[in-house]
Amino acid sequence: MKGFTGKLVGSLYPITDEECEKVHKAAVRVLEQGGMRCDDPRAAKMFEKAGCKLEDDGKLVKIPEKVVMDALKKCPGSFTIFGRDAEGNNDIRIGDGEVHFATVTGRYLRDIRTGERRQATRADAVEGTLMGDALENVHGLYKAVMWLYDEPKICNSQMLVGEMMKYTDKSTTWVYNTGAEYELPDLIKLWQIAAGGEEALKSKPHVLGHVIANPPRVIDVNYTDWLIGFCDAGLPITVYSALMGGATGPATLAGMLVQAIVETLALMVQTQSYKPGHPLCFCSFNPAMDMRTGLWQFGNPEYGTVGAGISAMAKYYGVPCTGFTINDSCDTDEQAAYESALKNYTYALSGISLMWDIGGMAGFNYVDWAHMCIENEVAGFIGHYLKGIRIDEERLSVDEILKVGPLPGSYLREAHTKKWYREEFFMPKLSNRDFFESWERGHTDLLEKGKQQAIKILDSHESPVPSDVQKQIDEYLDHVKKRDVGEADKPPKR
Amino acid sequence: MDQEYFDKLAQAVVDGEADIAVQLVNDGLGKGVDPIDAIEKGLARGIMKVGEDFGTGEVFLPELIMAADVMKKTTSILDEKIKASGTTRTTLGKIVMGTVKGDIHDIGKSVVASVLQANGYDVEDIGIDVAVEGFIESVKQNAADVLGMSTLLTLPLEVMGEVIATMKEAGLRDKVKVIVGGCPVTQEIGADAVGFDAADAVKKVGKLLGHS
Repeated sequence: MKGFTGKLVGSLYPITDEECEKVHKAAVRVLEQGGMRCDDPRAAKMFEKAGCKLEDDGKLVKIPEKVVMDALKKCPGSFTIFGRDAEGNNDIRIGDGEVHFATVTGRYLRDIRTGERRQATRADAVEGTLMGDALENVHGLYKAVMWLYDEPKICNSQMLVGEMMKYTDKSTTWVYNTGAEYELPDLIKLWQIAAGGEEALKSKPHVLGHVIANPPRVIDVNYTDWLIGFCDAGLPITVYSALMGGATGPATLAGMLVQAIVETLALMVQTQSYKPGHPLCFCSFNPAMDMRTGLWQFGNPEYGTVGAGISAMAKYYGVPCTGFTINDSCDTDEQAAYESALKNYTYALSGISLMWDIGGMAGFNYVDWAHMCIENEVAGFIGHYLKGIRIDEERLSVDEILKVGPLPGSYLREAHTKKWYREEFFMPKLSNRDFFESWERGHTDLLEKGKQQAIKILDSHESPVPSDVQKQIDEYLDHVKKRDVGEADKPPKR
Repeated sequence: MDQEYFDKLAQAVVDGEADIAVQLVNDGLGKGVDPIDAIEKGLARGIMKVGEDFGTGEVFLPELIMAADVMKKTTSILDEKIKASGTTRTTLGKIVMGTVKGDIHDIGKSVVASVLQANGYDVEDIGIDVAVEGFIESVKQNAADVLGMSTLLTLPLEVMGEVIATMKEAGLRDKVKVIVGGCPVTQEIGADAVGFDAADAVKKVGKLLGHS
């Protein structure tokens, strides 16, 4: 989907260009002197091929600046994550000055009908996918839920991805879940079925893969599997550190940024060595530790600031950037709203191309679809802010101002007003704009409005995916179920 | 005249195209269209559609006001013809509306007038800075069912009270319902109802006249 654009995209970074240079030099010192521990011999070979020095029987890789710079030259400055609609309306351009919003996930789900926070099921994955598919400011989807508690572990990811492919034609994102033997090949197969075949997936990849380092400074075996899998299937990837400041990363923002860049650059070198020119982007996922509870925290200012810093470094290197921006609030309350709004706006101002946030609560604890509808509206607010003030002859309105005033003239009756107000003014769907006395005499509160919107979507929104594609996916899931647990698959009825 | 003609009239209201609508009305009258048909089968359908779309949030104030302006321009031509022919047309009710003396804020009152019109009422908007006598005169002249008064300011609230008192003296108060509105108007001050916004005004007028 066409993202939000405007003169404010990429207008605000927490570090200057000169400071980017300093962060780069610091990261290079770490990469050259300390390097990365490399737990996978295949990964070590990729680094060696790129020109890195291997030490400690190939388990430690030191990465010279020249190797980093050579690899960066191979990264495309922008790329597309395709939608699966015939018209291309759901395509997302990454790195072209557009800002996109996507859903995010959670271990649990707050039931939209009962209000209870509970374990999610496969039927919830269907509904969560339909929610993301329907909302106009949701440009792509993360996992509808993190885990299907009514499906076995061995094929949990397959059932989740299968249902998502059946109920949306927007692009999706994947980070590995179970580590089960067939997880990776099955998911690639499902994405190929959804795309219309192996070559169709390569020419129009509709999934962004996640490849993550293990902080501090480890290249992991599982993620090397996925890096190879994503690259071979032709899927663009986002590479990042998942450090936690004060625990698996330093306790200064600059230090968090340096280590995040160290690990990100290492994964970038690994990818470009394995498959030169492969589309990739940076990503921010860098909570600090709450020093009272020891929990990760996403809603605090340092999270958004370091994320925007990673975006600044991505711009410095000419690579696109994505990011996670979930809130920490345990309830769909004011805290959830201000954390999401402030952080998403900070990310958008720093030009992050795609952010996973919509609908997520309490630091990935649960997903709430009423909150998803409210955040869909917040995304609209941000999209409108990003436009800034557009200056051109017609918008300057000099002829109009001369024509209407002085009083008693009014602009309300003017064709100029009718022509422009919808584009220039934001028209919220859920936010309250009532006269106080009307509101006082009876109103629906914001959360209830979000809930009503969600229920309306679930009652009426239909999957855009053709039934023959749904059938092929069902057949493949049935094959998986029979192979893994020896019984026929029973997908939830819709 | 065929259905296509009435559809065009309705569409001209929806589009807020006053020139087109006036042209259509004059053409129609020239070809013998019944002026009551032109309103009921054409223009009224247009303004009702705009009213519905406004209610569901598909169109907003500029479209509504412009559609109401088209209604005003066209019905003034047609009403003259109707009057000349000695017949009358029926509406949900006749409403006289204005902004009271000491206040020139026009927009809120115009919005409410437009929404009422879009909901089937015949509204006579007598403008801004209207003195007590102006309201009384117009209520009598139009045989109004409802009088609506508006102000954005605090001081002109007194004028509303004076109008209501004068209506009592003139024996009008029992025959005419009074609704008031505007930012400082938070209680009825002797009126029958307060409209807190346009939609609320429609609801309250409907109740006062026994339509709902």
